[in-house]
Amino acid sequence: MILRRQFLVGAAATVAAPSVLRAQGAAYVLGTLFPMSGANAEFGTMYLNGVQLALDHIAADKMLKNGIDLRPIDSQGTAQGGAVGMTRLANVDRASYVLIGFTGVSKAAAPIGDRAKVVMVNGGGVGPDLATLSPYFWNILPLANQEVRAVLPFIKEKGFKRIAMIYTEDPSGMAVHAELKSGLPGVGGELVGAYGVAPTLTQFAAIAAQVRDVRPDAVFFASVSGVQAVQIVKQLRDNGISQQIMTYSTGNLPSVSALPESEGLVFTGQSADWAATEPTMKRFVTGWREKLKSEPTTYGLNYYNATLLFAQLAKGLEAAGKPVSGETLREEMLRVRTFQLAGGEVTFAENGTASTGVQLNQVRGGRIYKIA
Amino acid sequence: MLFIQLLASGIQTGALYALTAAGFALIFGATRIFHVAHGASFVLAGYAFVAASALGLHWAAAVLLATAVAVAFGMLVDLLVYRPIQRHEASFFTVFVASFGIVICVQALVQFQFGRGSVAVSTSLTRSAELLPGLYIAPVFWVAAGVSLALFTAVSLFLERTNAGLGLRALSENPELLRAYGLSSRRLSALAFGLGSALVVPGAILTAATTGIEPAASHRVMLISIAASVVGGIGSLRGAALAGLMLGVVENLVVLVLDTQWSEAASFVVLFVFIVFRPSGLFGKAVTS
Repeated sequence: MILRRQFLVGAAATVAAPSVLRAQGAAYVLGTLFPMSGANAEFGTMYLNGVQLALDHIAADKMLKNGIDLRPIDSQGTAQGGAVGMTRLANVDRASYVLIGFTGVSKAAAPIGDRAKVVMVNGGGVGPDLATLSPYFWNILPLANQEVRAVLPFIKEKGFKRIAMIYTEDPSGMAVHAELKSGLPGVGGELVGAYGVAPTLTQFAAIAAQVRDVRPDAVFFASVSGVQAVQIVKQLRDNGISQQIMTYSTGNLPSVSALPESEGLVFTGQSADWAATEPTMKRFVTGWREKLKSEPTTYGLNYYNATLLFAQLAKGLEAAGKPVSGETLREEMLRVRTFQLAGGEVTFAENGTASTGVQLNQVRGGRIYKIA
Repeated sequence: MLFIQLLASGIQTGALYALTAAGFALIFGATRIFHVAHGASFVLAGYAFVAASALGLHWAAAVLLATAVAVAFGMLVDLLVYRPIQRHEASFFTVFVASFGIVICVQALVQFQFGRGSVAVSTSLTRSAELLPGLYIAPVFWVAAGVSLALFTAVSLFLERTNAGLGLRALSENPELLRAYGLSSRRLSALAFGLGSALVVPGAILTAATTGIEPAASHRVMLISIAASVVGGIGSLRGAALAGLMLGVVENLVVLVLDTQWSEAASFVVLFVFIVFRPSGLFGKAVTS
């Protein structure tokens, strides 16, 4: 009898063990939807470097009971890639938390993530309408309107009255164009020429001639493509534009700042002090330099923080004995609101934006310096 | 002054289009092969130059390497792809699809080796100086115009004054008669591919220096070459070169009256206009059935 009971208990335990173990030890699926190929692959690689560095630190600190299973998907920086990638992450990989970059990709992926109740965090796209995209969509970086507002005092201080603009005809470029156009009169300036270009255009000689013809005091360009940004700066300088060139966070790209023609380029970006003594920031900066043998970037920081944010949310849920899902992650986000991330406390607002500061940078000698 | 500035930019762009289109027209005119892979020759030449420059080779050596790569590629495609197809069936469509397949393969190989982004060569030749008040010209303008003029003159003289040149011109007309005169149509075909492919080299190198070159550049090169060949008159070297120059100028001047995003579309508006109103092109002969 005892033998029979022992046999039944043993058999039941054998059958049940894998599912119990799976339930206890299943890794949390973290998806990424970055451009890993094409003209914007430089962005995707940088984003993923930030995520992987954060995962290293989360694992080293044993922050979570379960591990994190990273599922990177190549969005190719296109809306179609975003929709296909998010469908896969939500329905096949069952990701509860997805990191996204690029405005067009975010707009295409958000409705799918929203339906599947997946928390999405953007650290790369800057279109102002990303603020209210979905209750499950959060931004961890300043959006274009916040960035453009930060460059306006510089324009006023330098006495630039006539601004010319080159922008890509995509959601992000058009958003920056609209913000600059409406913001310039407030600082005594005007947009004397605005040239919309296809995101794939690489010939700017004719546009440079037009820019020179309107005699601007400064030129602002908005392009999310690193390849295009490099060509805009190079060809403006090649074609005799000696005026101040300004842009937004695209200037953070190493390929842009390393260009000899970028000397003096002024650009906005998320506040980040690489010399800060705050422990998490110090760890990020040291880790980046050691692992990647290069200077950290704010894009890398954004996705490092977005990954740390997931770990903090999941840790809170584990402590409360709740399962980690898109719904519970969102509830935890709304409950806590303020998180200690690299660089200091970040508070998330109801509309999906974060309380991150914006700073003004300048390229000098191939290096980036904060100027305001 | 904006008009003159845009005209100068257009001449620089058009000079390079002219050579590339002339190469395509030379191959098509002599062999009647719709060599879509001509764009791949452009990409390979550009990347060979960039790679050689990155290795620290002197620019002249880099130019020679780029030329060797383009010529070898053109001749090998003729020898290994087009001829076997033509031996079995001379279908225009089969050759076209094979050529298009080569473009895709080359693009994938270049992407695998150099990445999908664009690459560029840094040179002081692209830095403009103010020639007249408001008119900025870079040394690369004179290089593009001078090289195009010199090469086009040399190729024209070659076609008109040498036996091989006469043979090339005769090849498309009557290959059987050529054989009767003891000339080899295979050798002449190889010559057409070698010479035509060499003509893409200046455009590829100067594109890498001015705007950067990317693996997918071959599609645009081909579209421009086809448009220039149609506008210039199918098979006419002079017509293709002139049409290439015209397309470059139109592409730049159009921004005077239309938004900048229409610049790239302008070439094809010109193409449609010619197809509708002058289908034989600038120097082509009207054909009646």
